[in-house]
Amino acid sequence: MATKASQGMAVPAAMPDAGGAHGVEGVPVPSFEWMGLSAEWGVRVKPGEHGIRLSDLNVGIYGEVPEVWDDQTRRPRGALPRPGVPPLPYNLRNKHQMWADSAANLYEEAIQRRWIPATEVPWDSLKPLPDDVERAVCQVCTELTQYANTEIEIITYWQDQMSYGYYEVKQFLATATFDCARLIEALRKRALSNGGGLGQESRGLVNRMILESRGGWTESAVYLYLVRGTYMMQVLRGLLNAAHNDAERMIYGKAIEDWSRHLTYGYDHIKYSVSHQAGQADILQTLLSLGEVMMAAELQESTMRPALAIIFGGGIKGGRTIGMETYLHLVGEFVRNYLATCEWIGVPRAEMLHPMLKKYLEY
Amino acid sequence: MAVFPSLDWFQKVRDVYNSDGSLHKGGGGACHTTAAFKVDGQSYLIVFEGLKCADIRTPTEGELNDADFVIEMPFDLWKAMVANVQSHGKADLQYTLNSIDLQQEEGIAYSPADDQYRQDLFYRYNQNFQDFFDASARVETTFA
Repeated sequence: MATKASQGMAVPAAMPDAGGAHGVEGVPVPSFEWMGLSAEWGVRVKPGEHGIRLSDLNVGIYGEVPEVWDDQTRRPRGALPRPGVPPLPYNLRNKHQMWADSAANLYEEAIQRRWIPATEVPWDSLKPLPDDVERAVCQVCTELTQYANTEIEIITYWQDQMSYGYYEVKQFLATATFDCARLIEALRKRALSNGGGLGQESRGLVNRMILESRGGWTESAVYLYLVRGTYMMQVLRGLLNAAHNDAERMIYGKAIEDWSRHLTYGYDHIKYSVSHQAGQADILQTLLSLGEVMMAAELQESTMRPALAIIFGGGIKGGRTIGMETYLHLVGEFVRNYLATCEWIGVPRAEMLHPMLKKYLEY
Repeated sequence: MAVFPSLDWFQKVRDVYNSDGSLHKGGGGACHTTAAFKVDGQSYLIVFEGLKCADIRTPTEGELNDADFVIEMPFDLWKAMVANVQSHGKADLQYTLNSIDLQQEEGIAYSPADDQYRQDLFYRYNQNFQDFFDASARVETTFA
């Protein structure tokens, strides 16, 4: 019998004859009945130009993504079910409740394009800033941190309930939460490394709206990506445009790329949901009517408004003029992008846009 | 000395970009997209595969229409952007693709197929494209 050494003991190797005449006394005889149990065997996915990607594995039964996944266990898609496994509360079992065709490739992209704030951000490029500007940067870092931890919380809340039939989505969302964790890390490091500190926490109107959306993952995705995410992307782009040093330039530049993946998934999923579920477009119209109210209120009240104006204006004085004009234009761009995306998704909002958001179209 | 805009100029930039991994710091990661630049009536197709710019060539009309996104701006702005990169070693904050896109009324990037998913690649790979143009600092340039 083949054996291998382990801490001076002869340990039986896992071979079919291990339970034979030379089995170790006291060790149960292993059964190998499971070896013949597979729903599909003999699969040989070959690496392509980009290696073996998640989407390349969708062959045979492993590529069958059903509209409804009834199995409430943690069984991986394509694995053989085991009788007697108790169900778990995987309440999202319809494809339209989470699917996006882009999820598998976005997962691969997130894995490949990871970055390390500790060592890759050129922290030594930080230089003292005027006190009002440093305070504004730190306030924005504080609020964006809350945007990111809201995303982590709402994704993990729903991810827990997503069935394993749509594992690509669960995989991608795992990377999205990691992106959020990394952004929190980078923003906290920025705030605490240039003579400032964290500012005041956000009132969190939209954060709360996102966290309290309990009608399904799609509802959360509408608020998280279509409403808040579209705005956040515009904020990150404005911050990159106004970066004070190479450290900020890298943080915001990488955050834009990370959030672009989130938005791609979010928009893709919402569009899929609208086109595959009767009545969904009407539901989203209602959700967006509510979401626009909260978003408009937050835009009006949030300390992001003066803080960003100060950053864009280079200080309080400039924040009152060019800085605020830049901020208002940024919000105008957010609303225009939001309307264009709603149209693309199949939920046109131009006619029904809340007046408090509509006013930003002037800028 | 390479003339901007010309296929020769873009190919020289590609050679510099591909030859030095330290120029990929902003993007840092695989990039898979086919995009196009429109400069002064001329079009250039750029193909990114993984960590390399695999190809840059004059596209057919079909290839142009099939690009994931197109970056188009007035020649004076292209010229100012390239000149800025030449002067500073990389684009300063007023001349990054992101900044220019923000400053232009209609933006500078669009999807010929009007596909939001493909247009988003401009943002997902924004730093790769910035790295590419920043590499042009090492290409001795004159303007047409």
